[in-house]
Amino acid sequence: MNSVAVARHRPADNPFASHRVEGLAFRFNGPGLSGLRQRLEEMGGRSAIVGPKGSGKTTLLEELATTLPGEPVKVRIEGGCRHPWRTVRAQLPSRVTSNHVMLVDGAEQLGPIGWRLLLRATRHARSFVATLHRPGRLPTLIECRPHHALLCDLVEELTPVDAPALIPGLEELFQRHDGDIRLCLRELYDMYAGRA
Amino acid sequence: MLTLHTTDGGSWFKPGELIDGRASWHFDEEVDAVEVRLFWYTTGKGTQDVEIVRALRTDSPDTSGHRDFSIRVPEGPYSFSGKLITLAWAIELVALPSGETERLDLRIGPQPVEVDIT
Repeated sequence: MNSVAVARHRPADNPFASHRVEGLAFRFNGPGLSGLRQRLEEMGGRSAIVGPKGSGKTTLLEELATTLPGEPVKVRIEGGCRHPWRTVRAQLPSRVTSNHVMLVDGAEQLGPIGWRLLLRATRHARSFVATLHRPGRLPTLIECRPHHALLCDLVEELTPVDAPALIPGLEELFQRHDGDIRLCLRELYDMYAGRA
Repeated sequence: MLTLHTTDGGSWFKPGELIDGRASWHFDEEVDAVEVRLFWYTTGKGTQDVEIVRALRTDSPDTSGHRDFSIRVPEGPYSFSGKLITLAWAIELVALPSGETERLDLRIGPQPVEVDIT
């Protein structure tokens, strides 16, 4: 990709620092949050945000959480978790009630038994939204499809001045990371930090 | 509109010191609550960590008002920057449920400059 002369930054000053990347809003290609919330209600309050790694599922789940009525319960299962059900159980309230809104990030980490246990433990929840890499376990609320133009858009937002120089190399970066936008942004962080 | 400031306008505090200040707000409509939060966060490469050290909540505030606060700074962690991450402190005033926020960056440590561990 094109090289850009950059000064060395404190990590906090890097335009691709985590607090800036995590502050990016989800880019909707269709109905916005209110439309999504309505769709969730129409689906009986149980559905999945589906997409590959680094496609914005977690960002969308966080944003959706702010619009849903009820008490949110956020459950996060990291990739490669050795005991996903135990991890989930530790994050669940002692009793899931009809006021709880379950938000399960990384549900694909659960095996079939863990998944059934989770559904059983949360059956009284007001609503249940999980992120998954593939459709199937729940009706799909929305499918996140990362694309090169999205990466360009995010880079432009993060680096309005340097973006024109960066954009020609972004397609190659996007391909190299198999469309994982999170990894693309981390590589751009390294470049800015002068380590790449 | 949210405003936040420390009493003496300072942004460097030593562990154990008190942060005195005032949080003020003016809203066009009623809000559920406002919160003053002292927190630290990491930023840089990778996942971000955040810890709210103290939160002072005011439920059902008037649409215009203020709250004076006094929060003791914990012993750590200090503000620092390394090669991979910066650990930064801030105090913020948040309106709920909208999430509208005003933030004041702070430096916590024995010296007025961020600890450099590069």
